Amino acid sequence: MTKTVKGMLIFALAAFCASLTFPFVASALDNEAVFRGTVRVGREVIPDVKVSIIDDAGTEVGSVASGDDGKWAIPIPYIGEFTVQLIGPLPDGISIKEGASSEVVVVLEEIRTTSVGFQLQSEDQKTILEIPPTWERLLNRMVSGLKVGLLVALASIGLSLIFGVTGLVNFAHSEMVAFGAVIALVLESSMGLTGGLFPIAVILAVVIGGFLGLFLEKGIFGPLRRKKMTNISLMVVSIGLAFLMRYLMLIYHGAEPETYESYKIQKGISFGPIELPPKDYYIIAIAFVTLVIVGILLQRTRLGTSMRAVSDNPALAESSGIDVNRTIMWVWIFGSALAGLGGIMIGLTQVVEWQMGEKILLLIFAAVTLGGLGTAYGAMVGGIAIGLASETSTFWLDNDLKFLIALAVLIVILLVRPQGILGVRERLG
Amino acid sequence: MNILAGVDIGDLLGLALRASIGVQAATFALAAVGLNLHYGYTGLLNFGVVAFMAAGAYGMAIFFTQGWLGGSLLLAIAAGLVFAVAIALSIGLPSLRLRADYLAITTIAIAEVIRISFRSQRLLDLTGGPFGLPSIEDRNAEVSFSDIVTIDWNPISDGSYGFWRLKFDEQTLWVMILGWTLVLLATLLIWGLMKSPWGRVIKAIREDEDAARALGKNVFSYKLQSLIIGGMIVALAGITRAMNTGFVETQQFKPQTTFFIWTVLILGGAASVWGPVIGAVTFWFIIVFVEELLRQMVESGWIPSVILESNDVASVRMIMMGIMLAVLMIWRPQGLVGKKEEAQIDVR
Repeated sequence: MTKTVKGMLIFALAAFCASLTFPFVASALDNEAVFRGTVRVGREVIPDVKVSIIDDAGTEVGSVASGDDGKWAIPIPYIGEFTVQLIGPLPDGISIKEGASSEVVVVLEEIRTTSVGFQLQSEDQKTILEIPPTWERLLNRMVSGLKVGLLVALASIGLSLIFGVTGLVNFAHSEMVAFGAVIALVLESSMGLTGGLFPIAVILAVVIGGFLGLFLEKGIFGPLRRKKMTNISLMVVSIGLAFLMRYLMLIYHGAEPETYESYKIQKGISFGPIELPPKDYYIIAIAFVTLVIVGILLQRTRLGTSMRAVSDNPALAESSGIDVNRTIMWVWIFGSALAGLGGIMIGLTQVVEWQMGEKILLLIFAAVTLGGLGTAYGAMVGGIAIGLASETSTFWLDNDLKFLIALAVLIVILLVRPQGILGVRERLG
Repeated sequence: MNILAGVDIGDLLGLALRASIGVQAATFALAAVGLNLHYGYTGLLNFGVVAFMAAGAYGMAIFFTQGWLGGSLLLAIAAGLVFAVAIALSIGLPSLRLRADYLAITTIAIAEVIRISFRSQRLLDLTGGPFGLPSIEDRNAEVSFSDIVTIDWNPISDGSYGFWRLKFDEQTLWVMILGWTLVLLATLLIWGLMKSPWGRVIKAIREDEDAARALGKNVFSYKLQSLIIGGMIVALAGITRAMNTGFVETQQFKPQTTFFIWTVLILGGAASVWGPVIGAVTFWFIIVFVEELLRQMVESGWIPSVILESNDVASVRMIMMGIMLAVLMIWRPQGLVGKKEEAQIDVR
């Protein structure tokens, strides 16, 4: 599959996202800047529509008519702010979506290919697109927040458990999340595990994620811990490891953001006032069930009990006959596998790319510190709270500020109650 | 000097040497001197180094481009330093009481908050949002605050100075001289401070905070002073870099820059006076040498494209930084010139 087609699919996915009112911008690291896009309504492409680009000084940079496949592309000579105009003519019955504009302003910060989309609608769709009442939109934001929160929780448990049993703040944890997502994508495309077979790719990727955890503990952090390295030094080591993993993924996986073949475009299904694509219902269900299972495992099984015991007091746990090193190993395996699963789910709702880890790192930290470093349940509560807070905030605030909400929560909680909501009070000063 | 066909070792050495004395090395050395005061001497795990660079560079750029303070660049630079003090206070006052690992997370988060805020569309008029400063129009017209330093203040007459790969034009040479002079002054300042009673208290706090407190020292106040002084040195590094690049952009202040500076400091040796300088020079030499070697080996076919393609070579820099950081921490936490007993930092 060519990069262009993939880019289009990403665009199509975004177009189905009701929350997106901005033009979706996908990018590739090319040496030349090109604005491109496809004039379309749903899956129907529209040829012979003129598109023109002017720069912020008002000079026309170029114009072109869309081809038979609806596609257009205009090279851009320099960086800056550009206005992309849909000049027309549009066929009968097709118009610019209400509330959307025929002009899209694109800010080009670096030389790269950028996809620009216009929001069009055909007459027969018009009736559906009435803006729902406020509380309904708020409810949808909250459900979306719950989804994000469950995924962040899933991704964070490992970090919190690993901190609990070893005292290490693992900066490479977010790369373990990205690793799971990337491996699932590679398995899907290389072994043809698409459609109904995709769950196999997920399971394999989670298992490989578990092995990654085993490797990190047995190959790196276990031996270093026995070398009596301090947790602060190990934290710096984990930062180095994070960069290593992140940029290896860039080199061997590529810079292009991709989506899973199997779940590209899905029509929303309404459930009362809530409208989500079917995959989101599955994602919420799977994440929820996984979290419940993790809770039961921690509470009811021997291994889970020893994990909590080591986390509480390693010396006491050891003297009461718990094999601490074995427990730590299993925490790494489970934590890493869960991180991988979280990564796949996040990849399903957004895109899979090498930068995933960097983007989610502070969200995970926010979730874990909010709930209380070292407690698995804290990570769950913190994750859901962070997801809800950041997604719901977009109802009132700009989209680009939602990340700030999560960080603000992180900073405030560290300053006010550094042990977190569920953390045990201890001296941190 | 051809050992491998297609690889010119002399060329590599020249490029690496050039980088190791260049402006970038000077700015990293300067930032590492500041971080050295935070981490090396005071034991503060500051993962928000880049916030101070951003404060200095943006403070200077905002005051200058807005024409506040009568458009004087010197006053704008002073404003950048004051901005860095403000950042140090706003990071330090609430978070210095936290344990080291919590402090690390807080500082990295605050640095990101600052970066994302500067990038926000709401501050477009002030910070230029994602475009940075000066504005795109000014940059296309090649007008920038750096002109005052590189052209108006430049005492060196036009021309090309040096020899071989180490030829610099008068502007680069002038910024290099300024940069390394600042590095020297900052290093001497740290040397003097560490000889003083103040420095002994700072080091005592690093070794045993409770003991320092028991001796009646106001630990919090000393830590804050260290954060402010180090932060201003880091801010100067940010300003120097802005003078070299000619613009400031939020992309320059991502967390990875913080960890570059950490690698430089740990490579040279934390808690040693000359460690940051030696670290910066060595770091840039190694990075550029390996990067260029790989590039040439890829282009001449010594490394098959399955392993590495030529446009991936730029990412190798980040991988090398990661490996260096981890490996140094494991096998040589004292770096090249540090003392081992001074470089072991623990929680509490």
